[in-house]
Amino acid sequence: MILRAILWRGVLLAALWCLLTEGRVDSWGLGVASAVLALAASLILLPPGSIRFSLAGLAVFLVYFINQSLRAGVRVALLALRPRLNIHPGIEPVSLRMPVGVGRVILVNTLNLLPGTLVVDLAANHLYLHTLDIGGSIEEEVRVAELRIAKMLGLDLDDEP
Amino acid sequence: MSIPELLSASFLLIGAAFFLVGTIGLLRFPDVYTRLHALTKVDNLGLGFTVLGLVIQAPDALAALKLVLVWLLALLASATGNFLIIRRAFDKGIAPWMAQERENDP
Repeated sequence: MILRAILWRGVLLAALWCLLTEGRVDSWGLGVASAVLALAASLILLPPGSIRFSLAGLAVFLVYFINQSLRAGVRVALLALRPRLNIHPGIEPVSLRMPVGVGRVILVNTLNLLPGTLVVDLAANHLYLHTLDIGGSIEEEVRVAELRIAKMLGLDLDDEP
Repeated sequence: MSIPELLSASFLLIGAAFFLVGTIGLLRFPDVYTRLHALTKVDNLGLGFTVLGLVIQAPDALAALKLVLVWLLALLASATGNFLIIRRAFDKGIAPWMAQERENDP
């Protein structure tokens, strides 16, 4: 288990270095050192076995993410260009089913890029979201994002709070 | 002008337009929270289209993947930075701007 994780992450980090240097070989000494340090950090921060990463889940998530980013960008752009500013911002609490850990970090970052939501604060099992239009369907959007991320990482969501 | 060049130029122009609108939003929106909406969402799209335009011109696959990597890392940094700024603002007690309900408006 742990050997497999080391192997996979090592290959991934080496590929990353290869990408950064665009395939040049003269800096591999530094590359190997960085990859080893990054591997150690990753093993400490995300112990093997805490997630079951799914490639199919990643593909579904990416399509969803790009689609939502486009919607978000276009929507805020249109709001910014209106001659009369027509926004009704406010802060809303939304319950959270994603367990503590890497899933939550990804969830917060994703919600920050979703149409109309910014995460203001993170409590034990609540999110405080700032929205441009209060009273929209924010809770549903959070549920969808949670589900997509949980599928990608192979995490179980907590029961309905 | 060949078709890839035309496509690349269009994407770059779209990217620049999003950056411009994001900046307009930054200037027009009323408080720190709404301004961050404009910055995160619109500028990430601007960078996305810029990267897409450049990927078409990339000399090889490695350079293209590197550009995509730049986009991903910038996205991550922007989303995380935003969270830190906005949480600090909230902790300091900066009240979010509220729309004035003007019921007597025509």
